[in-house]
Amino acid sequence: MQLPAAQVAVLEAASADEATSVDALAEATDLPPETVTGAVFELEAEGLVTVSECVDETITLTDEGREYAESELPEISLYEAALEAGADDDPVSMGQVIGASGLEGNAVDIALSNYARKGYGQIDSGEITADPDADPASDEEATALESLAADENLDDAAVRDQLERRGLLEISETTVREVTLTDDGVTELMAGLETAETVGQVTPELLTGGEWEDVEFAEYNVEADAEQFEGGRVHILRQTADRVKDVLVGMGFQEMEGPHVDADFWINDCLFMPQDHPARTHWDRFALEQPTHIDDLPEDLVADVERAHREGVGPDGEGYHSPWDEDFARALALRGHTTSLSTRYLSGEEIGEIEPPARFFSVEKVYRNDTLDPTHLLEFFQIEGWVMAEDLSVRDLMGTFEEFYAQFGIEDIQFKPHYNPYTEPSFELFGTHPTTGELVEIGNSGIFREEMLEPLGVECDVMAWGLALERLLMLMYGFEDIRDIHGTLCDLELLRETEVTY
Amino acid sequence: MPTVDIDPDELRDLTGHDDVGDEQLKDDLFGLGLEFEGRTEDGAFELEFAPDRLDRLSVEGVARSLRYQYGDARGVHVPSTNSAEWTITVDDSVPDERPYVTGAVIRDVSLDEDGLDSLIQLQEKLHATMGRKRAKGAIGIHDLTMLKGSSATDTDTPTIEYVGVEPDEDRFVPLDSDAELTPAEVLEEHDTGRTYADLVSEYERYPAIYDDIGLFSFPPVINGRRTEVSTESRDLFVEMTGTDQWTIDKMLNIVCYALAARGATIEDVTVEYDDREIVRPDLSTKTKSVPHKRIETILGLNLDPDEVVDLAERSGLEATKEDGEDAGELVYEFTIPPYRVDVLHPLDVIDDLGRAYGFNELEPEYPDVGTVGGRHERSRLEDAARTQLVGLGFEDLLNFHMISEEENYERLDVSPDANVYGAGEAATIKEPYSEDFTMLRTWVMPSLLMVLERNTHRAYPQHLAEIGFTAAVDESENTGVTEQRHVGAVLANHDAGYEDAKARLQALARRFDVELETPPTEHPTFISGRTAAVVIDGEEVGVIGEVHPKVLVEHDLEVPVAAFEFELAALQ
Repeated sequence: MQLPAAQVAVLEAASADEATSVDALAEATDLPPETVTGAVFELEAEGLVTVSECVDETITLTDEGREYAESELPEISLYEAALEAGADDDPVSMGQVIGASGLEGNAVDIALSNYARKGYGQIDSGEITADPDADPASDEEATALESLAADENLDDAAVRDQLERRGLLEISETTVREVTLTDDGVTELMAGLETAETVGQVTPELLTGGEWEDVEFAEYNVEADAEQFEGGRVHILRQTADRVKDVLVGMGFQEMEGPHVDADFWINDCLFMPQDHPARTHWDRFALEQPTHIDDLPEDLVADVERAHREGVGPDGEGYHSPWDEDFARALALRGHTTSLSTRYLSGEEIGEIEPPARFFSVEKVYRNDTLDPTHLLEFFQIEGWVMAEDLSVRDLMGTFEEFYAQFGIEDIQFKPHYNPYTEPSFELFGTHPTTGELVEIGNSGIFREEMLEPLGVECDVMAWGLALERLLMLMYGFEDIRDIHGTLCDLELLRETEVTY
Repeated sequence: MPTVDIDPDELRDLTGHDDVGDEQLKDDLFGLGLEFEGRTEDGAFELEFAPDRLDRLSVEGVARSLRYQYGDARGVHVPSTNSAEWTITVDDSVPDERPYVTGAVIRDVSLDEDGLDSLIQLQEKLHATMGRKRAKGAIGIHDLTMLKGSSATDTDTPTIEYVGVEPDEDRFVPLDSDAELTPAEVLEEHDTGRTYADLVSEYERYPAIYDDIGLFSFPPVINGRRTEVSTESRDLFVEMTGTDQWTIDKMLNIVCYALAARGATIEDVTVEYDDREIVRPDLSTKTKSVPHKRIETILGLNLDPDEVVDLAERSGLEATKEDGEDAGELVYEFTIPPYRVDVLHPLDVIDDLGRAYGFNELEPEYPDVGTVGGRHERSRLEDAARTQLVGLGFEDLLNFHMISEEENYERLDVSPDANVYGAGEAATIKEPYSEDFTMLRTWVMPSLLMVLERNTHRAYPQHLAEIGFTAAVDESENTGVTEQRHVGAVLANHDAGYEDAKARLQALARRFDVELETPPTEHPTFISGRTAAVVIDGEEVGVIGEVHPKVLVEHDLEVPVAAFEFELAALQ
């Protein structure tokens, strides 16, 4: 029979007549005890040995117990001092006796608490008496300590428990395995054993030479952790963006694309944002130092947009009572919203006239001159979407958004009437946070105003909405500081450890 | 969003609903779009409002809207005015930049402390919103009894005069001061003057208002102390100047409505321009025509015409049914009260009707419109390349597009005008808010090195990649900027080398079936002799190499870094 070397050694060291402990086998085979234990179990599984287990109790003195065994128990010191002071006749002041006993610190309390228990005398109202019949020489606890210190056994369980309670000894249990050869074991041993070779790795030679049939593979600790491996993964925000794109494409939306640096005309004027609107001041937008102005804008459109701003649209329409300057409209800035893409598409400039019905979206970056903090970035992704059709209603808008947000587990959308210069009616969208249950703002929406659509040449209704992608991400993952995720301050470990969702 | 402070007790007094508890009141206000944000030190409600209904910038306006909501008021209410006694004349000397003025006289006001505070808040909020921080319209309110109308033309018509003065021409004692100052001195020495100095400092002549005694107001900066309003004031003179007549007239209407709600009487004022004469306040109503069908389609409801009229009246409007141009078409003519500044188009009326109906009463409905969805080619290419990079073991990054000159060029040892990849003229931000974000990055390599720099305490290898936006000035583009996506990758590890980067670049090229060549080149960011140009299908589109120790040390890196970057479009 072929067995691994360790099993062969153990089998040879074991006996059929007498149980041998694992420790003894380890000594005999010169193998580490854990190797012997492993081999013993393998042999037991093959029926070559039997293994018996018994629990072995070891009693060891604590440091305190050892100290008392070397000198004496504090209560005995106290008794001797009390006798010396004549407390066997009359009660003596306790302070005097303690002083004479030489006990200090904790030992005083220990002596006092055991003194009366063990019948050395009484302590009452600060005075101490000594029982003349007590005999320290026959103190069971003292005797037991001495025996243990001399490595002798202690059989009296009551005394042992008392000493354990006093913290003078520790009882520890160990499982001892003992091995005996079975008849099969003896037979195999008699028949002769060969040592099998163990190998670390499957090699080409092993496979082609056929040696793999005769080898045992060295065992691994298969439970141990392996080295950490990172590998590639898609950025979590990008993954969220892709998820949003999937949902929107599934709902029939086509993706838009367009410039990040754009004329204020496309970003704001086409959106019917008055030029003196507070959001168009220097403080809110990133105007460009260079280049400064767009070369060409569609002339007719510029004239129509200016007219809408100045005079309004329709017979009862009124414009803004605000200045309008083409030079400002041509000024370049980083787009503050991707609605600039919507205005470009709606105008027919990007892909020609769009016939209703149509749905378009983008999930792209926008730039706001805000304060950088855990929930605000200077640049972030905006989800922008719009639906163009004849006779859209507020109910269509509500139905579309309920469907969209339900895809992300956000239910019970509430619509709070709101004001935007470019939509009417307008709604802020609120939803219930999937984990905290809080009501949180999740978007802004509305039906584009006629003052916006008419100059762009759109003759049907368009409803639109916008939402920060980072906000959706933070809702979905519960991140607290967006700066850890997006941008050069990102923490690789966080990106590496973030749970995969789908 | 802006906020307005409203004392709930005053609100209960003005609405006549003493029994409405605070919580109910908050809900009622939310229904108006006024969101409770907290309480002020005095216990007033701090309410956030969307800046359309500027007639609700004071407790009086909010109370008016609540009365409509409660059903205590219906339709349009216009306060009556007494005929004009006072005149404002506009002199030729008025600065061209601020030619317009309006005004009203308010009689028999009784302002307690709360009333006065409310008036001051209304004035401030109107300045902040419609007045565009006083640039477009500025309000001055004066104690009428302290004014002496000059009577140069007619003894029965007391007159004040809107003029332009030289900066140091005259003196007056401004509010919150004891000293007589010239307008120019006010701009330099007075706190309020310094705050608003920018509004007039470019003017040749400064706006000023005179009565028979002298200069009493320096709009849009500050009033004189002589005419300061107090709780003792009984009659007021309200004047407003600005760059647009409509704007200041509407601001005046809102102030007049607020004071009329406190029991005051409004008296007209005549404004005499050089070429015309107008009487203010202009409390005339406007009308907007809206077809019944349009209301139904926008709200997605079938409505009875009487219900539309009812909704209008509950919104503080009035509606009359009329025949439209088409046979059988029903059209409403809606009357809009003079304090409304947000009704630009008939559509705005429909919003009012929807709010009165209750938008949250509407049942959502998925639009029955079929369309075909799809991704833009640009984003499909980007995603395809990203998937390959991740498969090659790169961790995908997403960095800011804005960066500083120092990070983009200097720390990579690149001079903007050098003829190397990553150099080039940047699109720059005007008056940047932070020195960290002054331009758009011209390449992604700086961002990748910044991430390595930030993460030296994290486990290596760090194989990072970004397919990211870059921009540079290009006069041939309509916007003057060329915008590109670049594929950037860095391999940071104790044994990272050129071959590791080249192996991955080759894999990418192979997978996209493009021809890759890497002829040697020189680039200051990379080690000489270990740098190549990335040439794809015969065109130079990027750079590959081992990052120079100078750049590594600059980024506090203690491991070698091999890197490449090229234009994504080359994989098309």
